[in-house]
This record gives sequence, structure tokens and C-alpha cells, in this order.
Amino acid sequence: MDVIQHKIVFTLFGILPIRDTVLYTWITMGIIIAVVLILKLLKPNLLEYILEAVISILDDAMDVDNLHPYIPLLGSLMIFTLFANLISIVPGMKSPTADINTTIGLALIIVFSVHVYGMIKKGVWSYLKEFASPVFMLPVELIGQFSRTLSLSMRLFGNILSGDLIVAIVFSIVPYFLPIALTAITMVSGVLQAFVLTTLAALFISSAVEINEEDQRIKAENAEKRRLRKLSKMSEKGNN
Amino acid sequence: MENMTPEVLIIIVTTIVAGLAIVVGTMVPTWVEGKAAEKAIEGMARQPDAAPQLRTAMLISLALLETASIYVLLIVLVLLFANPLITRFFGG
Repeated sequence: MDVIQHKIVFTLFGILPIRDTVLYTWITMGIIIAVVLILKLLKPNLLEYILEAVISILDDAMDVDNLHPYIPLLGSLMIFTLFANLISIVPGMKSPTADINTTIGLALIIVFSVHVYGMIKKGVWSYLKEFASPVFMLPVELIGQFSRTLSLSMRLFGNILSGDLIVAIVFSIVPYFLPIALTAITMVSGVLQAFVLTTLAALFISSAVEINEEDQRIKAENAEKRRLRKLSKMSEKGNN
Repeated sequence: MENMTPEVLIIIVTTIVAGLAIVVGTMVPTWVEGKAAEKAIEGMARQPDAAPQLRTAMLISLALLETASIYVLLIVLVLLFANPLITRFFGG
């Protein structure tokens, strides 16, 4: 099957084999850059409108005070995934996200950036301490991180691959008209998957950077008690 | 049927199992997705103000539920196109 197998298209500098997924990823990147440049020249308002739409989607998903640090990652993730999912409707092209390597790469980027954002927001030690707040929860949390990566990548890969595969199978049986309907379903599923991937990444990030108010309150109370104790000690010393 | 090698037997059993798996593995998630969508639409009809939030939550949960059937599809694809049993027992 041509949809499942990924062949080496050409070799770069005689040593680097380039598979078709990489080639289609480059084409996707070129299309995104071209679309943005053309829109910037011809219709700047439309570009602004698209950006506002992306930001409002992220704003709905995330529960943070300042959205600014997360917009570059999540917005570019959404736009890239959208174009990569939709590019397979062009005849002769394959979605880069129908390859497991692309989706695992995206999922690893998301999972590691979640931790980096959490460490930046809370500090390295206090962020790492949350994973073992009761110590026996540490293996569960680690398994959770692993399965989160796996499920993010498998969901995107399976959805896009199954859409492309069904279109290919139906095309080999009934080449006229019927693949159009299935292509429409594939497009809807691709847009939905881009939305879901971005929303899940936003949810993970906002759960990592959210400051636990209960912990904060207990810490403040302890600090207050310590201060009072020190004050009383000092006053005792002064009396003596 | 007389000259059936073990390899052919494995292929036949794998095909039957793949068919059964795709039937059960799409039936159950679709049923559960229908229940989720039913509840969400009921909520939207009762409170039209909360419709956007409900729609977003419904889409996310539907995509999450869809993942189960996608896993089944992946396993079926592996069984049909890259069966690990054949290469393991018969060396390709």
C-alpha cells in the first residue's frame, strides 16, 4: 500500500537519506510561509482575524493570567497541524502527520515544553517536588507522562492515517464521485484533530503552570508561624 | 484444507480476529459517543447560553472517545499488513 509505506525519495549530500514524509513536511512549511506572506501583502486584516481566532481558541482552553508566553508554541502547533492534516486532499500528496515519526516528534515537543513552562513558572525544585508529593505517586506520574506522549501521538497518527487509507481504498474501488464525500469527512476530521491536539496541549500546559492555592496558603501560614516564633524568641531574649 | 501449513492457519486466524476486533472496537466507542453527544445536545437545548462551552467540551470528549476505536484500527492494520507472528515463527 502506498499510503502506509514511506520510501526514501532522494539522498542529500550523498549521506542523508530523505524520506517522503520529510519532503512533504518541507512542502507544508513552504505553503504556510507563502500563504502568510501573500496574506500580509494583500489582506493584512484577514491575517489579523486568523490570529485573533487562534488566540481566542487558546484563551478558551487555558486558565492562566498571562497568555503571551504560550501563544508562539501553541499557535504554530495548531497552524502546522492544520495544514499538515489538510494537505492530503491535494492529489499526489501525503499528510506528514500520517507518519508516526512526525506525530511522536510533535508529542515529545508538547510534553517537554509542558515541563519547561512549569519549571519556569514555579521554579525547578518546587515543580519537581509536586510529582512526588506523596512519594508512592511518583511511578504513577511517570507512567502518566509516558502514556500522555503515546496517546497524543497515536491519536493524531491514527485519525489522519485512517482517513487517508479509507479514501485510498474507496478510490481503488469506485474512482468517481464517492471519494469526494469521504475527502470531506477527512477534512472535517483533520481540522478537528488539529483543534483537539492544540486544546490538549493548552490544557496540559495550564495544569502544569497553575499554582495550587491550598499549597500557597499552607506555605504562607507556616512562614507566618515561623516569624511569630522568632519574634517571641527575640522578645524573650530582650526581657532576659 | 488438507495441505494447510501453520503459516496459512495463522493468516486465516489473524484475518478472522481482525474482522471481529474492528466490529467490536468500533461498535462500543460509537455507542458511547452517541450517549455523550445526546447529553451534550440536551444540555444545549436546555441552556442555549452555555452552548459554546458545551460544544467545545463535546468536541474534545468525542475526539478522546474516538481514540479508542483508532487504537483498534491501528492494531488491526498491524495484524493485516505487518503481522509480527509470521516473521517471528517463520522468519519472514
